[in-house]
Amino acid sequence: MSAILRYGPAALVSGTLAALALVPLLGSDYHVALAVAVLSYIVLATAWALFSGPTGYVSLATVAFFGIGAYTVAVLGEVLPWPVVLLVAALIGLVVALVVGLSTLRLSGIYFVVFSFGLAELIRQLVTWYEVNVGRSVGRYVFLDIGQTAIFWQLFGLAVAVFVVGWLVRRSRLGLALQVIGEDETVARHCGIDTTRAKLALFAVSSVFITVTGAVMAPRWTYIDPAIAFNPLVSFQVVVMALLGGAGVLYGPLLGAVPLVLLFDVIGANFPNHFSILLGLVFVVVVYGLPRGVAGLLGRANSIEHRAGPPSHRVRGEGGSPRSGETGEGASRGYADAPSPGSHASSVRSDLSPRAGRRETCLDVSGEPLLEIVDLSKSFGGVRAVDGVSFQVARGSIVGLIGPNGSGKTTALNLISGLIPPRGGAIRFDGAEITGLRSDRIVHRGIARTFQLVRVLDELTCADNVMAAIAFRRHPSWGEKARHRAATLLARVGLAGRDEEPAGRLTYIDSKRLELARALALDPKLLLLDEWLAGLNPTELQEGIALIASLKRDGLTIVMVEHVMDAIRSLCDRCVVMNTGRTIADGGTAEVLAAPEVVRAYLGGGDADD
Amino acid sequence: MLLVDILLSGLILGGMYALTAMGLTLQYGVARILNLAYGEVMVAAAFTAYVLFTGAAVVPLLGLLLVLPLAFAANWAIYRVMLVPLVRRARTRAALETDSILATFGLLFVLQGIGFVIFGGQYYGYAYLSAPVSILGTTVAVNRLVALGFAAVLAVGLYWLLTRTRTGTAIRAVAVNPDAARLVAIDVQTIAGLAFAAGGALCAAGGVLVSMFLTFNAAMGVLFTMKALIVVIMGGVGNLLGALAAGLLLGLIETAVARLVDPGLTLAANYALFLGVLLVRPTGLFGRPAR
Repeated sequence: MSAILRYGPAALVSGTLAALALVPLLGSDYHVALAVAVLSYIVLATAWALFSGPTGYVSLATVAFFGIGAYTVAVLGEVLPWPVVLLVAALIGLVVALVVGLSTLRLSGIYFVVFSFGLAELIRQLVTWYEVNVGRSVGRYVFLDIGQTAIFWQLFGLAVAVFVVGWLVRRSRLGLALQVIGEDETVARHCGIDTTRAKLALFAVSSVFITVTGAVMAPRWTYIDPAIAFNPLVSFQVVVMALLGGAGVLYGPLLGAVPLVLLFDVIGANFPNHFSILLGLVFVVVVYGLPRGVAGLLGRANSIEHRAGPPSHRVRGEGGSPRSGETGEGASRGYADAPSPGSHASSVRSDLSPRAGRRETCLDVSGEPLLEIVDLSKSFGGVRAVDGVSFQVARGSIVGLIGPNGSGKTTALNLISGLIPPRGGAIRFDGAEITGLRSDRIVHRGIARTFQLVRVLDELTCADNVMAAIAFRRHPSWGEKARHRAATLLARVGLAGRDEEPAGRLTYIDSKRLELARALALDPKLLLLDEWLAGLNPTELQEGIALIASLKRDGLTIVMVEHVMDAIRSLCDRCVVMNTGRTIADGGTAEVLAAPEVVRAYLGGGDADD
Repeated sequence: MLLVDILLSGLILGGMYALTAMGLTLQYGVARILNLAYGEVMVAAAFTAYVLFTGAAVVPLLGLLLVLPLAFAANWAIYRVMLVPLVRRARTRAALETDSILATFGLLFVLQGIGFVIFGGQYYGYAYLSAPVSILGTTVAVNRLVALGFAAVLAVGLYWLLTRTRTGTAIRAVAVNPDAARLVAIDVQTIAGLAFAAGGALCAAGGVLVSMFLTFNAAMGVLFTMKALIVVIMGGVGNLLGALAAGLLLGLIETAVARLVDPGLTLAANYALFLGVLLVRPTGLFGRPAR
């Protein structure tokens, strides 16, 4: 069964293509025409899903690129040799995709959907206007000596290419980056991913395939006008096919395109007057009956199969505690192995980072501070969330950022990690100014963080969550080495052996552990922890404190926002106390916690004064 | 007098855009359903007004009395039957958006197909209050002025309902944050259904008013939907005043381009304006940042 799961998709794709390849040899002209339609929609829907599947950006601009390809042929088809025409079409598609992508990929959700539709319509209107007013005729004739069979084989080659490219992308760092972006763009940037570049790259690849498909299909019409070449129905049909099949996997769109093209053909031939009613009903059935597409049905079968596997898998698969049911080898790699203060310090060091040797100088308070914040401020409307905050963090120290709820601690962290731009002030890190840099750049300088409201990537496995960071940090690594490193880090935070478990199945505490592993995977110099210890039970708290202490021994500098006083007392060398956006105390932990204004801020003015 | 002409025609057209966009922003901003079959409701209302006028001699303004409750009920039913299952199923807002786009896209085809079967593809229109009047040196048909007046009355009425009544406050609360609205004992599903139905009724009103002075056919729904959507997005999702401003702006620019440049470029001008606005302000003219 596992062999079927493993090779099933490849067999499905190659089987379908092989069956289609027989059509020109055995079938009639009608069959070839049908096969051309099937192939063209396979390419379009697969190319569409290449970008839209992982990122979740629903693009209705498919027909814009398709039409550009067709019109390139209409204009240049008789002037240049055919391969050159296709190349020119691909280049035009690439340039348009880059321009469009650069300007639009920062739009999100529905804004992108409507924008992409508007773009296709704008191009159609402009081409129509140009043809009528300048060309003096709405349509153009495409007289090229390219028969139906030739078109078929070109599309066939294109289909093979799109699957190969799709397969390569999914195996690559770029594929993982897009999945991360699709789940949570903020996390993606905090993994060091340049989200704009990743999205743009795949949008361009997808668009080039669509453009070339339009070019290849053009000779089939002999006459084209903007209403044919830029028919918005094509965009919608491609979306529906991809979603019916399942846009999340490479072979999904194929599962949608084949049956729908055949169905449309049958409906169109038998019920021409009720075509649109039946088409509409098919869409509705798809939405209600197959929310995750045909591939989703198969996928569900997979996961059931997976859970029914050998007992050792079952424990992992059901998201139980790693320590509860495991014996032997498993237990020896559980949280029990997390170093207690003073014990396996040396082994832990090599564990955290192969290059940890450079961090031998641990607590170097005298030298230049690692992080220096000067007069930082940020307002939301009339609220001054951070109001002229300044403090320094020495190399190798742990600084606690504490204060009542709403005092601006998390906002301060968000400003440091580049999640939001500051209104004023400066942030210097490791001798260079990082104020206002993008999060991914800041990550590359050496700052990693966890979030107060845990942000793990639910659909990805634990290992992939960590791999995303390893693959896009300053000195990235990929492949077996990265996978091994991810496993080591998961073991370090107490998630040993749970690499293949989807992060969405983790408990709250385990998600926090995973988030820490992801942050450590970035090989940071400075780690920002936002209430990482909140919500832990007493045993877990002790383990958590020991873990953070071991990170410090490895030479990591830490800024932690925290409310758990035990942890602050035992871990923090210094504390910065914030209240209503300002720093009200800054110094050694013991003195700061005893200072009257700090007590007043925590307990309320009246209590402290009276 | 070209300027007055453009201003007046632009305002009338823009008023219609604003009215229909307000309905869509209710549906999308409150019920979180992006209804692609929106324009079909408008076309259906226009045809109903046409049938009432030519078949039973009911004038469109009286017809509104029948069309509005009918559209309200029909949209309520669409929400309860078709869309509530999707709302229940959706784990995130994005998932609901995708599902609702697809489901209402199917609905669009079904409604459009029914329209074609009954009325075919040709254009329809009727003459009602089509006498010209002269205003500030330019001539306009009375029906256009009446339509603008009604649109204004409906818009003001809606604004009053939303800002001055308990139900209206609940609707605004759901628009801002459905989860928090639930915490203060607002029945989110009922309110969302109400907003969806009210949006559909506004849309139908727009259809009836437009039918008094424009010719229409069964295929025009998509165009209406896109224009309403463009106005909503330009104005900022869920923002009534934004929809008003964006609608008027779109009407004025469209008329100006038609009169001054080339009537063939009006749609292109529409989309160009829309794309331009989104590029400068990714969440619309008056939209709040998404996160």
